[in-house]
Amino acid sequence: MKFVDEFRDPELGRTVARDVLGLVEPGHHYKLMEVCGGHTHSIYKFGIDDLLPENVELVHGPGCPVCVIPMGRVDDGIALAHQDNVIFTCFGDMMRIPGSDGSLMDAKADGADIRMVYSPLDALRIAKQNPDKDVIFFAIGFETTAPSTALTLKRARADGVKNFFCMCNHVTIVPPLRALLDSPDLRLDGFIGPGHVSTVVGARPFEFIPADYGKPIVVAGFEPLDVLQAVRMVLAQLAEGRCEVENQYTRVVPYEGNLRALEVMAEVFELRPHFEWRGLGFISHSGLKLSEDYADLDAELRWPVPGVRVADPKACQCGEVLKGVIKPFECKVFGTACTPERPIGTCMVSSEGACAAYYNYGRFAREREVV
Amino acid sequence: MRTDAASGVRCEPEHGCITCGDEAVPLRVLRVDAERELALCANADGEHTTVEIALVAPLVPGDGVLVHAGTAIAPLPPEAVA
Repeated sequence: MKFVDEFRDPELGRTVARDVLGLVEPGHHYKLMEVCGGHTHSIYKFGIDDLLPENVELVHGPGCPVCVIPMGRVDDGIALAHQDNVIFTCFGDMMRIPGSDGSLMDAKADGADIRMVYSPLDALRIAKQNPDKDVIFFAIGFETTAPSTALTLKRARADGVKNFFCMCNHVTIVPPLRALLDSPDLRLDGFIGPGHVSTVVGARPFEFIPADYGKPIVVAGFEPLDVLQAVRMVLAQLAEGRCEVENQYTRVVPYEGNLRALEVMAEVFELRPHFEWRGLGFISHSGLKLSEDYADLDAELRWPVPGVRVADPKACQCGEVLKGVIKPFECKVFGTACTPERPIGTCMVSSEGACAAYYNYGRFAREREVV
Repeated sequence: MRTDAASGVRCEPEHGCITCGDEAVPLRVLRVDAERELALCANADGEHTTVEIALVAPLVPGDGVLVHAGTAIAPLPPEAVA
């Protein structure tokens, strides 16, 4: 398939890997953060880090929305799912995220009507098919997914659907990046920027990274050559003493983003004063809620939710993993008490979580060429 | 676990979840309902799905779109989905 096959060409991959070797300074340890969970998944699925020299380390960022959801929000979702006459809908990975007393999957086993959907539009369809029930959509995701929720809420209103509600957990990418860059325990040389988030917001919002923090960022696609090329571009900036936002994923990402998507998000959502991130704590203006115009569709206003903050399990080090401070296998419970079948932390649940990626692709220990 | 017929995305550890992976799939537009801003699209295996196209309209049959969570988030050239 065009746009896929050529970005998986092994010979081209080896050429780019050789370019990377030529750009690294011996004795210098490079730490690059891939922000997006999709990149983490690609890196391990295709073994990209095995093509990199030992002194180029890829650190996994907080770009998996399921991984960063705090336990208290899961509890709030479960409380909504147990309301009378409610059908609760959510994406698949969300079902297994542990709350303080079980997951949505457990709540389903207890009798709550919880259904997995692939899009907000699916949830709206369920609402239309069940006019005697109230249907709640558990909205989650970065700016890639938020326009989809926004358009569905507009459609619900336009179609006169009165039984469709949304519990909004959408988050934005810039505030956690800023929080990470302000974090004293993290030293990074550059970033691989999220590809599909940038399809919506564009590459411009990342200009603060070179401007305020002096770090390069390259927005990248998700095929193996995309990621490898982005690594090469970041290292080239460092080697040449440049520091800017570059767009490797030009075949999909316009620098200014999708203006219609930004408009519809601005109409339907507004920023929460703060939102809790697993491992990162409360971050100002990092979460979205429904705007006043759409408040009648807000499930959190329609039904009572506990809204209780729940501390992460003590043994779990998802916070350090999400900040890139430790590698997944350095966590005390990785692969023993915490596995994809019986996860303790969110990073082991979602397939794009760093722990699950390490676990599933067997990345425990390996030796690489030292430059 | 179910598979999304159109995108082939499965919510299993070895495949990936629509939201967390920022998964987006290229689909080919078959038919457009411009008034309702919906399009019937097909994936590489010919499986059909209905897609929200408000963010990338206008489209014509044969166009390509990059679809995330049931919504087209970017246009693609027709040759990308031929």
